[in-house]
Amino acid sequence: MTAKTLMNPNPMTLSPSDTVAIAADRILQHHLRHLPVVDAQGHYLGTFSVYSLLKLTLPKAVLDKHGLDNVSFVTEHVAHLAQRFGGRRDEPVTNWLNIHEVAHPETPAMEIMLLMLHGRTTSVPVVNKENGRLEGIVSFWDVLEKVRGENA
Amino acid sequence: MFMHDSTVASAAVIFGLNPMWYAAILFILTYVVIMTERINRAIVALLAAGLMIFGGVLNQEAAIRGVDFNTIGLLIGMMVIVAITRQSGVFQYLAIWSAKKVDASPWGILAMLSVVTAVLSALLDNVTTVLLIVPIALLITEELKVSAYPYLFSMIVFSNIGGTATLIGDPPNIMIGSALGLTFNDFVLNTAPVIMIVLLATLIPIYLIWGRHLKAAAEDRQRVMDFNEREAITDASLLKKCLAVIAAVIMGFVFAHALGLEAATVALFGAAALLLLQCWPHGADDQSKHVTEAFTEVEWITIFFFVGLFIVVHGLDSTGLLKLLADHLLALTGGDLTATAMTILWSSAVLSAFVDNIPFVATMIPLIKAMAPTFGGPEGLMPLWWALSLGACLGGNGTLIGASANLVVAGFAERAGQPIRFVPFLLMAFPMMLMSIAISTVYLYWRYL
Repeated sequence: MTAKTLMNPNPMTLSPSDTVAIAADRILQHHLRHLPVVDAQGHYLGTFSVYSLLKLTLPKAVLDKHGLDNVSFVTEHVAHLAQRFGGRRDEPVTNWLNIHEVAHPETPAMEIMLLMLHGRTTSVPVVNKENGRLEGIVSFWDVLEKVRGENA
Repeated sequence: MFMHDSTVASAAVIFGLNPMWYAAILFILTYVVIMTERINRAIVALLAAGLMIFGGVLNQEAAIRGVDFNTIGLLIGMMVIVAITRQSGVFQYLAIWSAKKVDASPWGILAMLSVVTAVLSALLDNVTTVLLIVPIALLITEELKVSAYPYLFSMIVFSNIGGTATLIGDPPNIMIGSALGLTFNDFVLNTAPVIMIVLLATLIPIYLIWGRHLKAAAEDRQRVMDFNEREAITDASLLKKCLAVIAAVIMGFVFAHALGLEAATVALFGAAALLLLQCWPHGADDQSKHVTEAFTEVEWITIFFFVGLFIVVHGLDSTGLLKLLADHLLALTGGDLTATAMTILWSSAVLSAFVDNIPFVATMIPLIKAMAPTFGGPEGLMPLWWALSLGACLGGNGTLIGASANLVVAGFAERAGQPIRFVPFLLMAFPMMLMSIAISTVYLYWRYL
């Protein structure tokens, strides 16, 4: 079994000019965790995910690779977090992309499962090796359904 | 020396070059390659050290004798102690506490964090200090909605100033202290007083350029005042152990000379004692986890850079070239102590602004030592050592590439979207550096010359 047989070939996507606010609405409305961002030609640029939303509400000092690993001394209210998020809602989603490991249509199922486990992600974008276009997305649920189906 | 002569002969056999030329060319090439930063500096220094041996300038035994293991041991010992201590969160506590002491006013915080950076840099390695303080500064400026630039700029400047104050604050001092057998107290009595003046004097332009314009809304200041610094302490029992060991180690430095001990013994013993306190009474698995963590934090790149460099400089020294250069320098200054001290102070400041001060000081140490006969023995050289220390450490403030801590802060600034560029930094920092050297000039002249 390969990515091609597992993937959803028509996932919901974002375009690079979409704002953080649009992405947040879509994520909350459809209870999605990962939205791939593709340009007008269908090239995969990265993924906007629930983790992007978490990052948006945190100070930059925490996100830095040498940043603070303990911020329990900060006593912020939800209003402050909301304020920080509000200040960033009109930024393009491309400012907050996660670059995930991607699969290709011919990537075997086991490799995809390993990507999910190591990348702590529940979905893997499937990208064409030659032209860099997004072909679909394999979600954790797709894989699980297939596995359970075989047992039924 | 006789042994060198026999090994030196083989250089001529292998490369057909005069060993002095061979060592000099290798030395200059090493400097150039280090400056281009295309190859990791530890690799460059170790390869060059190997070539000194292969070329026959030194044999392995002579090369090992060139390595100052007191410097190496002191560096490793302090790195281990800091690696463990930082886990306790005490440095964040100190930074937040100091910010709240001034009612979270933006200029007050800028001044306080500058002083905290200077004090910590005097006791810890500069890079470690900025890695600990900059994230807090970024968080506070984000909460206050003020530009982080003046804060990051000041962290750079004050880390280099503070580091100059003590034996353990900056690698040049460790090297000078170790080569001369100077004590912790020698630096506290000789470099620290002028550093206090430089620190206060440097706050003035920082206030005039940025400090007086900084404003923050009352509600944003309240957010910083609401920080609970006690929560920054992640491990109170570890903290007590760390503070006890650090206090003992500093006492050890103070009394090391009277006890006939060297700084590396004190630092490494302190590191081992702290590891024991941290590991006891955990099981074998936990113990090796803690020890591995602490040892991983040791900056092995710096350590091996030192090892390689000591060997390269020792090779050069053993050919007699540095003695020749010292004679030339003395001829230029007419053997006058004041002129020589000022030449060393100003040239090491300007050079250290552009090149790494570690190889520079490593080269200057044997060169200055060779001047002893002119100035009536080793005692007469003391003003020159203080000139070298002040010049090489403070010179790091001249440009963004003057010291490793500068580049670490610049990395933070870049990632935080408020980049520190080479030329704007130079325009502000270079005059401040010159001011600190002018103050040092007056101090050296008044006190020693």
